[in-house]
Amino acid sequence: KMFSDTAFVRDESQEDITTEHSVSHSQITRLYSRFTSLDKGENGTLSREDFQRIPELAINPLGDRIINAFFPEGEDQVNFRGFMRTLAHFRPIEDNEKSKDQNGPEPLNSRSNKLHFAFRLYDLDKDDKISRDELLQVLRMMVGVNISDEQLGSIADRTIQEADQDGDSAISFAEFVKVLEKVDVEQKMSIRFLH
Amino acid sequence: EKLLLQAPARARGRLCRAGAAPGAARGERSAAGSRRRPGPARHGALDYPHVQIPFEITLWILLASLAKIGFHLYHKLPSIVPESCLLILVGLLLGGIIFGAEEKSPPVMNSDVFFLYLLPPIVLDAGYFMPTRLFFENFGTIFWYAVVGTLWNAIGIGISLYGICQISAFGLTDITLLQNLLFGSLISAVDPVAVLAVFENIHVNEQLYILVFGESLLNDAITVVLYNLFKSFCQMRTIKVIDIFAGIANFFIVGIGGVLIGILLGFVAAFTTRFTHKIRVIEPLFVFLYSYLSYITAEMFHLSGIMAITSCAMTMNKYVEENVSQKSYTTIKYFMKMLSSVSETLIFIFMGVSTVGKNHEWNWAFVSFTLLFCLIWRALGVFVLTQIINVFRTIPLTFKDQFIIAYGGLRGAICFSLVFLLPPAVFPRKKLFITAVIVVIFFTVFIQGITIRPLVEFLDVKRSNKKQPAVSEEIYNRFFDHVKTGIEDVCGHWGHNFWRDKFKKFDNKYLRRLLIRENQPKSSIVSLYKKLEIKHAIEMAESGMISKVPSSVSLSDYHEGKIKPLSPTEMENMREILTKNLYQIRHRTMSYNRHSLAADASEKQAKEILIRRRHSLRESLRKTNSLSRERPAAANTKRFLSLPKNTKLPEKLRVRNKTSSRVGDSSDSDLDAATTVLNLRPRAGKILREQRLRQQRPLPEFRVEWKNEVDGSQDGRGEQQDPSTLPQPSIGFRQPLLTRPRFGTLSREDLTADHGSARPMPPPRLVRQASQGDRQRNKPENQPY
Repeated sequence: KMFSDTAFVRDESQEDITTEHSVSHSQITRLYSRFTSLDKGENGTLSREDFQRIPELAINPLGDRIINAFFPEGEDQVNFRGFMRTLAHFRPIEDNEKSKDQNGPEPLNSRSNKLHFAFRLYDLDKDDKISRDELLQVLRMMVGVNISDEQLGSIADRTIQEADQDGDSAISFAEFVKVLEKVDVEQKMSIRFLH
Repeated sequence: EKLLLQAPARARGRLCRAGAAPGAARGERSAAGSRRRPGPARHGALDYPHVQIPFEITLWILLASLAKIGFHLYHKLPSIVPESCLLILVGLLLGGIIFGAEEKSPPVMNSDVFFLYLLPPIVLDAGYFMPTRLFFENFGTIFWYAVVGTLWNAIGIGISLYGICQISAFGLTDITLLQNLLFGSLISAVDPVAVLAVFENIHVNEQLYILVFGESLLNDAITVVLYNLFKSFCQMRTIKVIDIFAGIANFFIVGIGGVLIGILLGFVAAFTTRFTHKIRVIEPLFVFLYSYLSYITAEMFHLSGIMAITSCAMTMNKYVEENVSQKSYTTIKYFMKMLSSVSETLIFIFMGVSTVGKNHEWNWAFVSFTLLFCLIWRALGVFVLTQIINVFRTIPLTFKDQFIIAYGGLRGAICFSLVFLLPPAVFPRKKLFITAVIVVIFFTVFIQGITIRPLVEFLDVKRSNKKQPAVSEEIYNRFFDHVKTGIEDVCGHWGHNFWRDKFKKFDNKYLRRLLIRENQPKSSIVSLYKKLEIKHAIEMAESGMISKVPSSVSLSDYHEGKIKPLSPTEMENMREILTKNLYQIRHRTMSYNRHSLAADASEKQAKEILIRRRHSLRESLRKTNSLSRERPAAANTKRFLSLPKNTKLPEKLRVRNKTSSRVGDSSDSDLDAATTVLNLRPRAGKILREQRLRQQRPLPEFRVEWKNEVDGSQDGRGEQQDPSTLPQPSIGFRQPLLTRPRFGTLSREDLTADHGSARPMPPPRLVRQASQGDRQRNKPENQPY
């Protein structure tokens, strides 16, 4: 292994990660050991194959999309920082964070950033809109074999209709946020042990 | 019947007398049997006593099972009325018939029969299907509810009943405190199976499931221990303080001793199954024998048999699951369910039968106050305990959860049999106790069992949003849930648990090496992978059940901007369709149902997802020009047929495999190939583009290429072409994803065989043809047929 746990702590300036994402030291250590256990090639980065080796992810309907979310645009490898960066979106929002530091950069686990993360899972071509196609893609992934294309199409239409406000038959990020304003995103997109 | 139930020893002797001469056995027969004239048998005459015991046993079980068929005839019945109610009713009916016919009390269940034969299968079933990880994560809470809760209930009920007994108006003053305590302990045994059945359709806090389940298991053990404790106290003349402490110490010894025996035998069982690969047929037998052995061994030492069998099952589960063959595994599961189902059925019928008869004494005060106190103490106990335990829990239990736990405190078989065990010498008012217990059981099973589901739904509805949810809401909710589950899976399972991690390390280092035959990948999801029979996959593929990516048809029908507003019924339809068809979140706890194995739905879902992914990835594979088909690197171990190993992968991808696919190596090596099939650089954007491309191309082109390929391959070999490997072109455009499955292990030769001589391997050839296909697109012979 390139890094032992302690070596990592020393070399990789985990304080950066701690402060950047406000993740505790013990969590970083745990996640790092998870990272290394996934990293079969032992070169300090994860590739898509490494993620797909997680069997639970293989039977997750949105597995591929989730895996893609870890990789920055155009890249095939993700290092630990990138790994943490993505996971940081799922840190629970603590009350005392909500009020502090309005001037600093918005933390990754803010509601808006969580929603942005979800939006990006839909929006593959990164045009900041969820088109009907993209919606259908995701719907089809989430749904069983018993729904016909026509039914799925009308469901997609209805979904867009409910969200679309500017009439462009696509869901922009603002519309996405609006339609989810009653949904407890903070709770749905938080993983408690990432405290 | 009398023979069966009141003379188990004799019955057993009779059953064992396999080869003994009829003459010798004759002497054993009781007076109830008729005398048989010696001499040649007269054919056609009825020799009932000869077969009486097995005959009656069979008849009882048959009756119980027929009753079950009867319930399910009207399909709504089991969801309204829990099965236990129906079974008791059948028992009542039967008891009434017997009573009416013979004018005497029907047989009463012998507690030996119950504790030695009927109870172990039920506990084994519960222990085997207990999700261990979740159990241990919540162990503190479970232990808290089970131990402290039971003690609370037992002592509370005992003392308050004693208080009632002191009131001379009720005529109960002769019941001592100890007797009351004993009664309290036996009536606090909770059997929540009915409640668990309700859980399947309500959204419950996942933790709740394991809580109720785990509590019931530990609860049984604790009740029995308490009961024995108090019973021994009752039979002692004087009780000193030291005895009380001895009693408490005994409590712990009994519990822990039972657990240790169970774990020991569990390991022995796991070790045994390591060597059973030549005798697959009797593999399930070992599981059952060892579990039962742990039960009776513990009972022999006066330790807790229930704890023993539970811990044996939980220990054995992990390792055995990996050592036995797929079929044995299924057999074990089904047989276990069958045994526990039969046991439970018999118990409830006996309960009904025993109710009718003359062993009752009715006392309004005692009975009604017993019932009242049971309810009150249960509710109080749950409430108080929850308040305390919520402080320590990360996910607190809500009011709805507490209500379910409290209201779901149904009494069942254990109290029933314990009360019959009371020694009449010490308990002159035993009949009173019996009556009280029966009333409590009936009330809880019938009234609470039937009303719990509507009440919970009422609670649910009350607190959910009144406004009409949008169609898309369910989609978004499910979307988020899937994402969250996915990320949790990426992070891996965490306990915040030092001990758990330590145990896992110990487990990996020593136990697994010792107990598991080939160190194969571990999680149950992986065994799910293996379980996916490729045959099914191909069948599904060929029959077009693979779900479609948005086909060109539907997309071309879409006209910009013309979304018609929907009527409420249409919306309702949509919502219904979605609810039914959206994939479930992968539950970490399988819902426990004594009457069925619930794994099938999620397996089906997993199959569909996996097939669809392979399908779409195969599409992307075909588009990629850089892939060349080469001879795959040999897999160098025998493996069970798992989907990806059977596929010849392009060399480029296999290279990555080489480093890690050594025998007995990293546990994920089995999955490496899986992932390489699935992976193949699925840049999402690329897939989308490809799909857009594909929409513009005529679809049947793929089929054409395949057909060409297959024709070509046929010339080169003399081997019989397995017809089912050929796609049926008439059925949609789906190609079979994989070669014909070969069940059993893949031998080395299969994999290293030259592609030209072996069976056709569709994917690589398709790959090759893909590039050629582009060139051939315009040729006339490639017009779709």
